[in-house]
Amino acid sequence: MTERYRQYFEEMPCYLSVHDPSFRIIDGNQRFRRDFGERLGDQCYRVYKGRDEGCENCPVAATFADGVSHMSEQILVTTGGEKVQVLVNTTPIRNGAGETVAVMEMHTDIREVKLLQEQLRRSQSRLGRLFEEVPCYISVQGPDRVIQHANRAFRETFGPALGDHCYSVYKHRDEPCLYCPSQEVFANGKVQKHEELVTSACGEQINVLCTTAPLHNAAGEIEAVIEMSTDITEIRKLQSQLTSIGLLVGSISHGIKGLLTGLDGGMYLVNTGFDKNRPERVKQGWEMVQRNVERIRSMVLDILYYAKDRDLEINDIDAARLAADVVDSGQKRATDLDLALTLAVADEPGVVPGDPKAVRAMLVNIVENSLDACRADTYKTGHAVVVTVRRVPPWMEFAIEDNGIGMDRETREKIFSLFFSSKGISGTGLGLFISNKIADKLGGSIDVASEPGKGSRFVVRLPLEAKPSTHQGSAPETAAGER
Amino acid sequence: MSGQRVLVVDDDPDTVIYLTAFLEDHGYDVRATNDTVHALDTIERYHPEVILADVVLPGRSGLDLLVTIRRDPRWRDCAVVMITGMDEILQHDCASYLVSHEGMAGPDGVLGKPIDPGAVLAVLAELSRRRACTKLEECR
Repeated sequence: MTERYRQYFEEMPCYLSVHDPSFRIIDGNQRFRRDFGERLGDQCYRVYKGRDEGCENCPVAATFADGVSHMSEQILVTTGGEKVQVLVNTTPIRNGAGETVAVMEMHTDIREVKLLQEQLRRSQSRLGRLFEEVPCYISVQGPDRVIQHANRAFRETFGPALGDHCYSVYKHRDEPCLYCPSQEVFANGKVQKHEELVTSACGEQINVLCTTAPLHNAAGEIEAVIEMSTDITEIRKLQSQLTSIGLLVGSISHGIKGLLTGLDGGMYLVNTGFDKNRPERVKQGWEMVQRNVERIRSMVLDILYYAKDRDLEINDIDAARLAADVVDSGQKRATDLDLALTLAVADEPGVVPGDPKAVRAMLVNIVENSLDACRADTYKTGHAVVVTVRRVPPWMEFAIEDNGIGMDRETREKIFSLFFSSKGISGTGLGLFISNKIADKLGGSIDVASEPGKGSRFVVRLPLEAKPSTHQGSAPETAAGER
Repeated sequence: MSGQRVLVVDDDPDTVIYLTAFLEDHGYDVRATNDTVHALDTIERYHPEVILADVVLPGRSGLDLLVTIRRDPRWRDCAVVMITGMDEILQHDCASYLVSHEGMAGPDGVLGKPIDPGAVLAVLAELSRRRACTKLEECR
């Protein structure tokens, strides 16, 4: 039996050595002898490490001290000078009285394990850097839609985000989106690709092409999804510009057809008025010609606004004076249409910072729309457009109210869209789009309330304190000064 | 053709003024409205023989008006001519709109903007001729 254990001891695939209380090696197995020589009787620290004195944190000393096993990692040096990284386990050898009289030390070569660990660490580090540095937004979400990981591009654009719901980070929503690609992936395990419009932490709209894929655990269950989004805003802008050019051409062509009809009509009335000796018809025809020439002028200005961008020139605007000027500019047309265009100024509204030409063009545009709305309403009489201006801190408020034809909800919601016009053939869909753009660039807004058959009220609010960003931005070219 | 009742439906006041004056000068009896809802009221009272309708109107479109008229047997003799500045779009829209209303006849004519006065008179004369033929056949 003893012989058999001796054989086991000898052939163990690790270094085995037995130490006495003075750290002398009193026994060693075959592999120990192979790599460290016949060193029985020498101190272990000399044999294993070439030292002249005991090691700090010596596991053999610890086992002698407390009588229990200890474990540590050490680096040994063989007689051939090779360094061997080992995992050391010690175990006490007791006498009949239970005293530790010797300690057996087992050294397991862990170089291969250490090499693999290092390779794994490097690989993880490389993947981590790749995850961090890849130039698109990457996030990992759990089934609860909470973001568990996010790369640098994501964090820089959408904020820290970890622990937040994807819908609040990506879309600033309080509840999940109607279509959720992550939930789709959790449900069917298939990669989803789709396009989204998301909002950055600073409120910037970003078009992204988003790929969502499942992340499986060892059991093959989907435990999370990874979402990779590529910013395609610039591509979309380019597409939008190309589409806009096409729409602009179509819109202009459509508008010109309407103007030609008006001019044809005017000329017809003038000619037949003279032929029939009907002065009132000549007058009506001539007014029609004048109106459509004015429309052409307005259309050309709108196109210029749309086509060219220029920096805003911020100056103090005398609000009451500007409103009076806008009303004056529409007065002739109002008289021709037999409707009242009036101005109401509350107290002394004072000045508001803004680009005078752009703000004037914006207000003129809205007043023109109100006049058109009254003219289009053939179902009642006594039409009026009232322009009011008042200071309502922190805003300067210009209101344009008419009792014209009014708008239904659908029209109301679309009036600020590019190329949308409720005027059929006579509109280009540029005017209110540009007006809204001007208000927006000045840090203000245009609100509209309207009811079909009753009329509309447009309220333009401009901030009394100029917003710093507006000085940097650019506004559509305004040619209001050319009027 | 003299005295033929024509209803003009267009939201552009200049077009309405022009067409009304032009058609009255050529002996037509003309009424005009600015939208589809009022057009339907006028049809009830006025019984037009021809409707000249713009396609893009506030609220319900001119195509909507066409379908409403086609569906109502009382107006089966009423001809509808669409007027638009968007000729190509109209053709496409008309085709797809009427496909969705199976078996429904399209407009009796399409006139583009700017309006060609000669074309308007030609379409109305043709419609008047067709009406006369139909009546003749009915008499036989």
